[in-house]
Amino acid sequence: MLVLEGVYKYFSSSGTDRLVLENINLRVKSGEFVCLVGPSGCGKSTLLSIIAGLEKADRGRVYKDGKEITAAGPDRVVMFQEAALFPWLKVIENVEYGLKIAGIPKEVRREKALRYLKMVHLSRFADSYPHQLSGGMRQRVALARALAVDSDVLLMDEPFAALDAQTRYLLHRQLQEIWQVTGKTIVFVTHSVEEAVLLADRVVVMAANPGRIKKQFAIQLSRPRHLKNVDLAFLAGEILRELEEEVAKVARAEYDGEWSPEEDVFLPAPNSNMGDGI
Amino acid sequence: MWPEYLFPSPSGVFRSLGEGIKDGSLLLAAAVSMQRVITGFLISLAGGILLGVALVRIRFLEECFGPLLLGLQTLPSICWLPLAVLWFGMGEKAILFVVAAGSLFSIAISFVSGVKNISPLYRWVAKTMGASGWQMFTTVIFPAALPSFVAGMKQGWSFAWRALLAGELLSPQSGLGYVLVMGRDLHDMNLVVAVMVVIILLGLAVEKLFFARVEASLRSRWGLDRA
Repeated sequence: MLVLEGVYKYFSSSGTDRLVLENINLRVKSGEFVCLVGPSGCGKSTLLSIIAGLEKADRGRVYKDGKEITAAGPDRVVMFQEAALFPWLKVIENVEYGLKIAGIPKEVRREKALRYLKMVHLSRFADSYPHQLSGGMRQRVALARALAVDSDVLLMDEPFAALDAQTRYLLHRQLQEIWQVTGKTIVFVTHSVEEAVLLADRVVVMAANPGRIKKQFAIQLSRPRHLKNVDLAFLAGEILRELEEEVAKVARAEYDGEWSPEEDVFLPAPNSNMGDGI
Repeated sequence: MWPEYLFPSPSGVFRSLGEGIKDGSLLLAAAVSMQRVITGFLISLAGGILLGVALVRIRFLEECFGPLLLGLQTLPSICWLPLAVLWFGMGEKAILFVVAAGSLFSIAISFVSGVKNISPLYRWVAKTMGASGWQMFTTVIFPAALPSFVAGMKQGWSFAWRALLAGELLSPQSGLGYVLVMGRDLHDMNLVVAVMVVIILLGLAVEKLFFARVEASLRSRWGLDRA
């Protein structure tokens, strides 16, 4: 169980402190899949870094299973938007990395790494170097590397954002399967509402300036889920409405108040004649 | 066109080269010089890495001595010779010291800048996988800094090579520098140019046979050569 209590975070730039996270209180049950969505700049990635222990909260506490988190550790593995595979290691050695750090003997870790590489369907590429793989394959290796450590918490920071739609679709299915099999606690940051609804038990919508939790949605749909499911689309619509206000706010701040999207209007085109050809 | 003692002809240089190789004097001198430069380079490699590690690990050291190191790197290493002769006497040790001093700082500096240029992502990944301290150093920081470090080693090698010849010219014991000085004293410009040719060939050989290969294998493994 992950518990965040009154977490505040400031970024100081050129002498002035900017509040990035304001009073974040969040509980993630063991085995729960939670997605954080929010407009850019709402601090969702920062929040994930704080849970990971890569950054420190300026106020408030973060606990995992009752123990306070003070540093990064192999019980909370992070998967980043970039695969960040080590280019000097072969694919299989990359997957083995966490096991090697844990001091697991060579044969055992090789076998385990191969098992996870199979899980992401890349065992054929075990002896390749990362640069020989496509972006999607690299991200799958990164997933295998994160899974191989066998942490009970997996933190994912927009891991599929840079991938093409087909690869993302495949990885969504794989991640759902893997989560169901392993029962890990997953905190997943994304800017895609559909992705959040597809994967999560609970979607946490964040607001920006300063970053705070706006609303939470429980997603009680059966698995495996598909994007074409009507209930899923409905829920995504609900969450999107919540989010759009925030996006608009951020955009207005960024565009100096000139940002005014019109709602539901037809584009008046001189050569279009509505009802023509009926 | 020119008198032989001002600018030797290619045929004369070849004759000199042939003689030097036949009686073994040039080969011996080259072997002595190579042995010196390799020893000096290995010393500076070890020292440079130690210094680099210390600078990376202890921020205070880097803030205090970073600019000083930069200054020392620009100092032509032959400037160390008077001190070296004072400390070690005219001889082998003084030359080794000059060679090591010539490349030590550029190796240390390239190590530090190599470490500084590592993408923080690699460090984060290693951290969340539980690596820390020495393990982080050997499994991530060192291999990640290796490509730029090899470039620094190459530069260090050429500094060491120059330092060696300067040392051998000013404090001649044996080696290529000594043969060069002998050629000057005997007004044998054929020999002088022959030694220059040997120096160029040796420099090229080390560059092509060692550094170029190490660099190429690193680059292909990292996938840096893809168009």
